[in-house]
Amino acid sequence: MYILGIETSCDDTCAAVLYDDKILSNVISSQINLHQEWGGVVPDIAKRAHQERIDPVVNTALKNAKKTIDDIDLIAVTRGPGLGIALAVGFNYAKTLAKKHNIKLVAVNHVEGHLLSVFLKNSKGLPKFTPIFPCLGLTVSGGHTKIVLIEDVGDYHIVGETLDDAAGEALDKSAKLLGLGYPGGPIIERVAKGGDCKFLILPNPLPEKVNFNLSFSGLKTSFYYQIKNWSVDKKLKHLSDLAASFQNAVFNHLERKFSLIIDEYKPLSILASGGVLANSLLRSRVRKLAKTKSLPLYLPYSKKLNTDNAAMIALAGFHQFKRSGPSDINNIDIAPRFEL
Amino acid sequence: MDMITINQNNFDAHLPEIAKIIKNGGLVLFPSDTVYILAVDPINPNAVKKLLSFKNRWVGKAISIAVCDTKMAEKYVKLSTSTQKLYKKLLPGPFTIVTNGLHKVAPGIEAENSTLGIRIPNSKYILKLIKYLNLPITATSANLSGRSPHYSVASFLHTLSQKKKNLLDLIVDAGKLPKNLPSTVIDATESELKILRRGDLIASNSTSLLSTSEIETGKIANFLFQKIINKKLNGPIVLGLSGDLGCGKTVFSQSIGKITGIKSHITSPTFVIVNDYGKFLHFDLYRLNTTKDFIDLKFKDYFKKNIVACIEWPEIMGKSNLDWLKQHTNYFAINFEYISQTERRLSFDF
Repeated sequence: MYILGIETSCDDTCAAVLYDDKILSNVISSQINLHQEWGGVVPDIAKRAHQERIDPVVNTALKNAKKTIDDIDLIAVTRGPGLGIALAVGFNYAKTLAKKHNIKLVAVNHVEGHLLSVFLKNSKGLPKFTPIFPCLGLTVSGGHTKIVLIEDVGDYHIVGETLDDAAGEALDKSAKLLGLGYPGGPIIERVAKGGDCKFLILPNPLPEKVNFNLSFSGLKTSFYYQIKNWSVDKKLKHLSDLAASFQNAVFNHLERKFSLIIDEYKPLSILASGGVLANSLLRSRVRKLAKTKSLPLYLPYSKKLNTDNAAMIALAGFHQFKRSGPSDINNIDIAPRFEL
Repeated sequence: MDMITINQNNFDAHLPEIAKIIKNGGLVLFPSDTVYILAVDPINPNAVKKLLSFKNRWVGKAISIAVCDTKMAEKYVKLSTSTQKLYKKLLPGPFTIVTNGLHKVAPGIEAENSTLGIRIPNSKYILKLIKYLNLPITATSANLSGRSPHYSVASFLHTLSQKKKNLLDLIVDAGKLPKNLPSTVIDATESELKILRRGDLIASNSTSLLSTSEIETGKIANFLFQKIINKKLNGPIVLGLSGDLGCGKTVFSQSIGKITGIKSHITSPTFVIVNDYGKFLHFDLYRLNTTKDFIDLKFKDYFKKNIVACIEWPEIMGKSNLDWLKQHTNYFAINFEYISQTERRLSFDF
């Protein structure tokens, strides 16, 4: 079936067309240029941009897939979690479109989208593989940090999650503290290259082996107050070392907890997704971990599928539709704190 | 030794009986906002003697008393203008404030240097009892001198000999109390405050508290929120939390959320700007840059119902929005300051 996915949960306006799990088009109207001068996701801009861009983004997605709206069998849209006013733009657009063209609609959980993003395939149906369950998923982005036991597609159990800041948020804030602007993650990765990751000693959050939750606010606080009184020159001189130290502490924590939970739940496979997994160092660390544990690892086949996108929403919608049919279009609304 | 079990529903019915025993010089084990206390009439010399012999306490070491308000306190201690402010900001709360006594209590209550510690506990039971008696009661923790305090009647009785048990005229059992430390004792006889005993909250002056851990920040949140609840306000309650990164604003918000009954994890809302938990809202404006961004959040819609909200980095919303909030909600500002790696100062003025 042909699925149109729509995603506007925070800063990016996204639309994609899938044939089952195969991506025919995937459009992300990234707002990086607008954001760089602000130092953060700016809802005002996000919302206006969603409103201004949703129509052209959806049309581009259809055009790139060489389809028209009449070919679409199902519209999948993000219901939550996210920023209310941003979610509403995509959600209302999807509802209107579905009603107008009499297309079935499914309202999807954004985090489920991230988890399933590793199962997306290109238009030729590649990469070919049959996932093995139970699979333990790590999904890490600016807004989420969760470790989820996936018994099967549609059957999720959160086994660990951040108690305070998301990992991506911690990286964003560290970049801002170093005067590196927004978005922080990619710049931290670039700056950290060649830096001494043991330059700054940072705490090991939640060290207890029985605790499967994560915490990043202590890392941020320690980092901030260690360098707070440094001169700009000193900070500049050690920029690489500082970025490397912080990035390393965040990744150590993610890896340690992921590894602990793998040992506890003994899954048959693991997956990793979300914006922070666009970082090559983290991807290679997760690959090594999978090797050590002798488990198959699923990663999105393209970096573009790590950050927010509508292809993952369309895939989650496709599976949800197969499981439980369409959503009741007249009785469903956004859910900014939608739990998995 | 009689024992009664009280709860919110039956307390009023038991009140005359408890009051009568205290008025007649009896010794009563009673629950407080911190630990179980030993209550007697502090004016009655025989009652005080009984209390001191029960506690094995020598005369000369002060026994603090609980009153229901500042007006009642002024009958027993001298209050300077600055102490009055201390009362206004910290009481009711887990503090004992020591000032010079007026010698209106029985021997053994004031210290040798004539100072007297006053509490206004944040406990409906105690406040009701004092109002009913129209007299203060002693508020010394229920333990023998030098031993640790008790949070349940059973654990206290367990430490007592039969002879001691016979001295108790009434036990008022309110079940297991939450593990709060005994009150912080503040010596306010001189212009600079001195902490004589550390409880859960450390006051550095009448409008600021020190925190040395996340747990303490949580306790401060509880204390300040209770202060707000005591004001019996109508409409939304908004807490504006200002201060640098890593000062405990999110930890504070998590505690407020918990008090309002939110069961789920309260995580940082930096990425989504606002997390709406229904009756509790958690804003973080860290990443907003202009006043207009805040207006575009349609923020006014959030404050129509009787919700409780924490707003981190409120100054980013701009003066006109802040003025709107102050006008249309019960707005309270709390300032977070970094003192050292393990110390934060939380200031308030309400």
